[in-house]
Amino acid sequence: MTRYWSEGGGVVPARRPGRVLLLVTTQSYRAGAFVEAAQRLGAPQTVGSERPQALAGFNPDGHLTLDFSAPEVAVEVIRRFAARRPLAAILAADDEGVLTAALAARALGLAHHPPEAVATARDKYRMRRALAAAGIPTPRFHRFPLDADPLALAREVEFPCVLKPLGLAASRGVIRADDPEQFAAAFRRVAALLGRPEVARPGDELARHLLVESYLPGAEVAVEGLVTGGVPRVLAVFDKPDPLEGPFFEETIYVTPSRLPAAARAAVEGRAAAGVAALGLSDGPVHAELRHHAGEAHLLEIAPRSIGGLCSRALRFGEGRSLEEVILGAALGLESGGLERERAAAGVMMIPIPRAGTLAGVRGVEAARAVAGIEDVRITIPVGDELVPLPEGARYLGFIFARGGAPEQAEAALREAHRWLEFDIQPGPGAAPGVRADAGAERRW
Amino acid sequence: MVTITEKASEKIRELIAAEKREGLALRFGIGGRGPNGFTYVLRFVPLSERGAGDTAIDAGGFTVLVDAESATHLAGASVDYVETAQGGGFKIENPNPLWTDPRARAVQDVIDRDINPAVASHGGFVTLLDVRDDVAYIALGGGCQGCGMVDVTLKQGIEVRIREAVPGIREIVDSTDHAGGSNPYYRPSKGGQSPLA
Repeated sequence: MTRYWSEGGGVVPARRPGRVLLLVTTQSYRAGAFVEAAQRLGAPQTVGSERPQALAGFNPDGHLTLDFSAPEVAVEVIRRFAARRPLAAILAADDEGVLTAALAARALGLAHHPPEAVATARDKYRMRRALAAAGIPTPRFHRFPLDADPLALAREVEFPCVLKPLGLAASRGVIRADDPEQFAAAFRRVAALLGRPEVARPGDELARHLLVESYLPGAEVAVEGLVTGGVPRVLAVFDKPDPLEGPFFEETIYVTPSRLPAAARAAVEGRAAAGVAALGLSDGPVHAELRHHAGEAHLLEIAPRSIGGLCSRALRFGEGRSLEEVILGAALGLESGGLERERAAAGVMMIPIPRAGTLAGVRGVEAARAVAGIEDVRITIPVGDELVPLPEGARYLGFIFARGGAPEQAEAALREAHRWLEFDIQPGPGAAPGVRADAGAERRW
Repeated sequence: MVTITEKASEKIRELIAAEKREGLALRFGIGGRGPNGFTYVLRFVPLSERGAGDTAIDAGGFTVLVDAESATHLAGASVDYVETAQGGGFKIENPNPLWTDPRARAVQDVIDRDINPAVASHGGFVTLLDVRDDVAYIALGGGCQGCGMVDVTLKQGIEVRIREAVPGIREIVDSTDHAGGSNPYYRPSKGGQSPLA
């Protein structure tokens, strides 16, 4: 039986969990889910982020301001805090904080993926090398400096190929090229993206090179896992039924359980586990991406964190626990219920941005919610905001969640709900008119 | 119970005439509560829409309908019409307190005194919508809407402060329509990269 601490009168565990330090960026989609999970587990929590919190003065133990771009400095801040308020677990919700979390956990003797493994996983080139060295099938790859002549480099690569920044996520900056001209254009586009100060800090090692790898046609899947004491456990395998063939690789639908044949699924899980071992990831969540090609599961990436965006809402475990409760429970060493995902199929659609512009309005949300099997529709870009599609963009328009029945039904529900949504996108950035009407004590006609 | 000034009456009659529809009444009520106090509903409706609990006020040439819930918060209120350099508009003076429930008043005090000055430094504001049983319902606006840390602010700041200051409150519920297209939840701050998978 799952044993939670609940101040609301629920089941009380044998002991109250220790304090957890959650590292989240202020741009995170993940803060709410982790904060809620910590509350449900009854764990006192401190949130570390890169900017001071507005209400930190009312809860001084609840907040830490940390510079994730200077992990050693951040670790010192965490050490000083932990001397006053002992920590039982440190967990990063996003890529940005995961190295700080690993270093701080080591400094305090807490279970976490080792910093070396995290650093390797955060660099796509180093990760590829580690996976290849372990004999794990991956795409063929090269690393090129961004100041090189792309037309000259094009003579060294095979086509089709895929260009990738070393340190970005969510398919940002990932472009397929089928010939030297496309390669040169894609190379310059990635270089321009990495030259933006809001994307990469000056001197960032990961922004000096890009990765070029062979394009592998085939269906893609994602594996959500949890590693404890070096032992990986698969929490969910997602199919990605929309083809990801380029030129950009915008992810849309994730559906679980996977419809792969049992043997293929076992191969996927085994390959993800081999990747975890090859990188040396030992304690914490992992999110892996694999592609079926030529009868083999090729490992594209493993991130030392959980699934991004709001996608984790598609997952429920045991008696209804969230993914974040499972992860935090493991980090805190709590007795947990089973890690079996619920029987029903579930899916999430990351709503793609159809074109650049300014979001002026959204219609059809209620109709989309009313589609059978749809649990929720979340629009996550505010009206009036600029929409930037891939490969430069870093946000989705929102998320649609489906649950119940078979995977085919969940997928169909997601597609049907998406058809109901209409996005009014005006050309160019700028404020959209007439979207807010503030009402005060005085109203004028 | 509600006073419509002569200038306001004149303007309302003018607007009703412009509607070119027979049998219109003015629906006047409390729309909600915002950072500046009550928000109000002022709209024309067919007189036939008068509900059982509505109070009908003869305002001289037209009827004002006030629902029962609003009536308790509008006693002594007045509606005037004022001209300014920016144009004309209706101005409502309402002597009633925002809250009569002492717990709601206490929560409102905490929001006004402690919370809103702090979140204002981040461009946000918090509005108390209601207090029912031991639950306070709030909405987050301004810079709070769309901030990725809004849940942290809610759970680690607002909730902590309100529960500490008003012990009778057990839970704080964020009732912002975050899912609405014009009122979404997340607006990642500028800079950095997406944490999306």
